[in-house]
Amino acid sequence: MNSSSEEEIVSVRDLSKSYGPNEVLRNINLSVNKDSVLGLIGLNGSGKTTTIECMLGMQNPDKGQISLLNKPASSIHETNGGVVGIFDTPSLHPNLTVRQSLEHAVLLCDKPTRKPNDVENLLGVEKFSNYKIKHLSLGNKRRASIAHALIGSPKLIVLDEPFNGLDAGGVDDVLALIKNLNREENTSFILSSHQLPYLETICSHAAILHNGQISASGAIEQLISEEKLLVQLHIGNSTSAVQLIQSNPKLELQSIDEDGCIQLALTDMDSADLNSWLVNNNVPVKELIVRRSSLSKLFKKLTSEPDK
Amino acid sequence: MNGFMTALRSEIFVAKHTFVSKLALIFPALIVLTQNFFSWVADTGNSARNNLISGGSFDEVIASNAYGYFVDSINTGITMLALLMVCIAAHSFSYDRDSGFVRHILIRKVGRTTLILAKFVYLHLLAVTSLTVLLITAYFSTGFFWEYGPVVEDGFELISEEEIIAEIFLGLRLAVIPLPAAIGFGLMTSSIAQTATQALMTALGVTLAVDIFKPSLGAYADYLYARFLPSLVDTSYLSEVSRLVRGYSDVLVDDRILQMNLLIPIPTAIIFLCINLLIIKQRKL
Repeated sequence: MNSSSEEEIVSVRDLSKSYGPNEVLRNINLSVNKDSVLGLIGLNGSGKTTTIECMLGMQNPDKGQISLLNKPASSIHETNGGVVGIFDTPSLHPNLTVRQSLEHAVLLCDKPTRKPNDVENLLGVEKFSNYKIKHLSLGNKRRASIAHALIGSPKLIVLDEPFNGLDAGGVDDVLALIKNLNREENTSFILSSHQLPYLETICSHAAILHNGQISASGAIEQLISEEKLLVQLHIGNSTSAVQLIQSNPKLELQSIDEDGCIQLALTDMDSADLNSWLVNNNVPVKELIVRRSSLSKLFKKLTSEPDK
Repeated sequence: MNGFMTALRSEIFVAKHTFVSKLALIFPALIVLTQNFFSWVADTGNSARNNLISGGSFDEVIASNAYGYFVDSINTGITMLALLMVCIAAHSFSYDRDSGFVRHILIRKVGRTTLILAKFVYLHLLAVTSLTVLLITAYFSTGFFWEYGPVVEDGFELISEEEIIAEIFLGLRLAVIPLPAAIGFGLMTSSIAQTATQALMTALGVTLAVDIFKPSLGAYADYLYARFLPSLVDTSYLSEVSRLVRGYSDVLVDDRILQMNLLIPIPTAIIFLCINLLIIKQRKL
């Protein structure tokens, strides 16, 4: 993700931002390629929203360059609807109805590709069509915001905390919609969230933001595969087994609990190799559980590291 | 230009579907109607009392001339309109920013500078429309209650209708010239303030404070646009016109005041607009 390519549609270079004495972002570098779905992941207060606001030209960064569809963030409007943003607080006019908000979106588009009626049906807000935005629940406001974004045919949709306030069905609908738009219309997405299980299902790439810096970024498969394989072992004679394990440089003993359960990290070795090696060395294996690496684990690991 | 027209259409679209702009259109005219009705009731009562006590008098003749009431109406109407426009301008951008509505427009189509210029133009369109409604209402309602005519005393025409109309036009022109500065001030407050409520309170508070203190500023007040705008503490020429067309005064506008009235408000509006554009370029939205 950090390497430039001809298909790069978002480029963030050395982005820094402070609020008074508080440094929120430090030399952030990001790039998003065409057709990809980037998850911008971070704890509360890690700077996700600030990053997105700087990217969308809503805040001026202290330092750094940002370009979206080859336009600087400060001239984002020159993409003529190529980029749309959906913010953590639904940003529609409170005194307009859902239908009027969508008609307003039509007014902002040079060539609207969908009709208000169609996007209402797509997002399931057709029964709230005549409701004022201020009278909607948070979840329905978010659906209306997404409907508003879909009136044109944006090349990039930036969503800040898209799952906040949505019920389970709503989350599924939004996930399906993102997948569909990405697959069929080649729309790229940047999703900022800490809802990792959802992001893992739709994101092709991830960038983990921690303490104002990007701790890790890249294709999700690549990020996960770089992690060591974690295994939980339950063996009979743990004392001799521990000595044996410590003698093997491919194994990293992480912990032993009171029940004699051993946590191991494997390097250049898979679980089958470990099992046969232990058996060959006369260590009976009662139980071997592979702890699959995931974005959540990577995130927890990175965010538990002390500030660099 | 494309962005400007989009922003302007967006403003008009929101205005069509929300209450605030309708209030600006109707409220000054309603106030004028109410004022004229109550003036007519009071006037009729006074005439009846005077007729009972004695015959007709000079006061009665000139008081019943509709032009005086017409000028009073537009004076009150413009006072209300100016206060409303300051409030609406102060609320407009700050509310859009608070609700996040402004973000969609800025991301999709319109630059920050263009958006402010479009708001400035839209607010003027609103003010002009409201002023038109106000003038029509004032003209017909005063015509309904009283009769238009020259100021006549003992059969002699003191002031002809043409002179009255010319003076009303001058008073009206001088009263309207400061409106862009009032709108510019409201919009500037809207950009500076942190919230819509803060913007509204600040704009209204400062406007009323200046209004109250301007008589004590002496000649320095001539450098304030508010000096020439009909207001609660009225020092505008339109208030003088009200006396002129009733025959109470024959003092026309002072040349220096006329020059200041023509020179001060428009540059003030431009200064407010420039400050506004500088602020909007920098601030978080």
